[in-house]
Amino acid sequence: MTTTQAYVAHGSGLSFRGLLLSEWIKLSSLRSTMWCYGLIILINIGLGVLLAVSFQPQGASTASIDQGYWVQFSTIGIAFSQLVVSVLGALVITGEYGTGMIRSTLTAVPKRIPALISKAVVFSVVSFVISLVSIVVAALLAQGLLTGKGLTLDLSDGRAWGAIVGGAAFLALIGLVALFLGAIVRNSAAGISAALGLIFVAPIVLQIFAAVTRAAWVQNLFELLPSSAGARMYSYTATPAPKVPDVIVLDPAQGLLVLVAWVALFGILASVLLKRRDA
Amino acid sequence: MIEATGLTKRYGMKTAVDDVTFSVKPGLVTGFLGPNGAGKSTTMRLVVGLDRPSSGSVTVNGKSYSALRAPLREVGVLLDAKAVHTGRSAINHLRALAATHSIGRARVDEVIGLTGLDSVARKRVGGFSLGMGQRLGIAAALLGDPATLILDEPVNGLDPEGVIWVRTLARFLASEGRTIFLSSHLMSEMAQTADHIIVLGRGRIIADAPVGEILALATGTAMLVRTPDAERFGALLSAPDISITHREPQLMQVTGLSSAQIGELAAKNGVVLHELSPQAGSLEDAYLALTKDEVEYHAGGTPR
Repeated sequence: MTTTQAYVAHGSGLSFRGLLLSEWIKLSSLRSTMWCYGLIILINIGLGVLLAVSFQPQGASTASIDQGYWVQFSTIGIAFSQLVVSVLGALVITGEYGTGMIRSTLTAVPKRIPALISKAVVFSVVSFVISLVSIVVAALLAQGLLTGKGLTLDLSDGRAWGAIVGGAAFLALIGLVALFLGAIVRNSAAGISAALGLIFVAPIVLQIFAAVTRAAWVQNLFELLPSSAGARMYSYTATPAPKVPDVIVLDPAQGLLVLVAWVALFGILASVLLKRRDA
Repeated sequence: MIEATGLTKRYGMKTAVDDVTFSVKPGLVTGFLGPNGAGKSTTMRLVVGLDRPSSGSVTVNGKSYSALRAPLREVGVLLDAKAVHTGRSAINHLRALAATHSIGRARVDEVIGLTGLDSVARKRVGGFSLGMGQRLGIAAALLGDPATLILDEPVNGLDPEGVIWVRTLARFLASEGRTIFLSSHLMSEMAQTADHIIVLGRGRIIADAPVGEILALATGTAMLVRTPDAERFGALLSAPDISITHREPQLMQVTGLSSAQIGELAAKNGVVLHELSPQAGSLEDAYLALTKDEVEYHAGGTPR
């Protein structure tokens, strides 16, 4: 019937480097990304500067209390920018499901998991860098403003910079929690709700319960939530909180570990479901 | 080369694809026909691994799709539903897909030119017309210069010029030895493009043959006979295995007799014939005849 030779495919194939580049193009070519990162920068720098500007030093102060004000003002924006990075994290994956883009993604990467991993890597690295730069800018501006108001600040304080880097890492990791939650529910509204529910609503509810019941286990549950455990990563206290029996208080490293465990839990769940479900 | 063996896909109680076995060969345009809901899109999704078969298997060039080292080089696919992020520009969509396989910018520009998207390449896909979206989907399918092309309803929403372009493109790519698998619910479209046709109805294959054979199914032995003496001649022709339909007062359709037999009978009985012609079968008729019982959604009627 035909004498034509079958055409043989040739040329470059899949590579992890290619997948990272692909996810970078995807992330950087959407307006929602620009809006969310713009908002994160604005919140991180704006709130820190706002507090430093309106701060009125009162009475006697020690160097360590001054240092505490500085770090607190530098990282104050995180309480709000974590919501923005969570929304973006959820959107990064649910946007693909909502528009059908996921079918293009998964036909290009039929093994699927590498696509999710590269998306997570690109999103978390970009989020970390943007967070770090904005928090450092906030810290430097706050340092200038506070020094002008007579505070004595120590820029060589390793623990202070640890809190600043910890804050940026926290934003990247909390965004990953939202991304994997989004991959599990596969719908923008549900993904954003689930992420904000876990990151923002659950701590409030548990805090109310803890206040009412005074039960240590409720307090501990609260401490282990992603946002509260992660908050330890950028907390800076001059004096450690008084010990209460049976109540867990995480240090920054433990906070990081708990948050990483949350990321791993949702990451594994998302990967298993991605592999098993029809797209 | 696409080979499906006992391919089955069930969604809950519903069997979308039911024990389907077929092969799509290189160098040919293979048409995949069937009414809406027959399972064409599901079959194509199974080929590229978007859905997992309930049983059976399907391979592309001897390998399962997910085992391919360079899937976009082996298979280019256009799915029926949109598969593009509406907030991204066409060029960025193509760049992102190309990057996965380290396909260069030159090829991205090439498929944009090939599909006539130059003027809208930097616009966001959300504002695209159906036809533009379809061209972008075809551009994405062509990115990897694939050996196998799977296009689900490719001419949907295209203007006449676009339809001819897709047809020409499919024929050209097949002539280069590629495997071309096109679905459509329009038989007339396939008659002009395909070499081979697979007809699907209610998830099962009801025909799998070269286009000529499918046409022959419709070009049965029906003859059109026009005569002022229709009533009398009809009675004369009447026999147990001969069916006669009076279409107009002077026109009847006769099945079961050749033109020679009818002509001789007319001469013997002194009947004047104004017309004696074979009823030309169209692919459309063959298709309707084949799928008559297989249509899932009857217009204006109740499903069986």
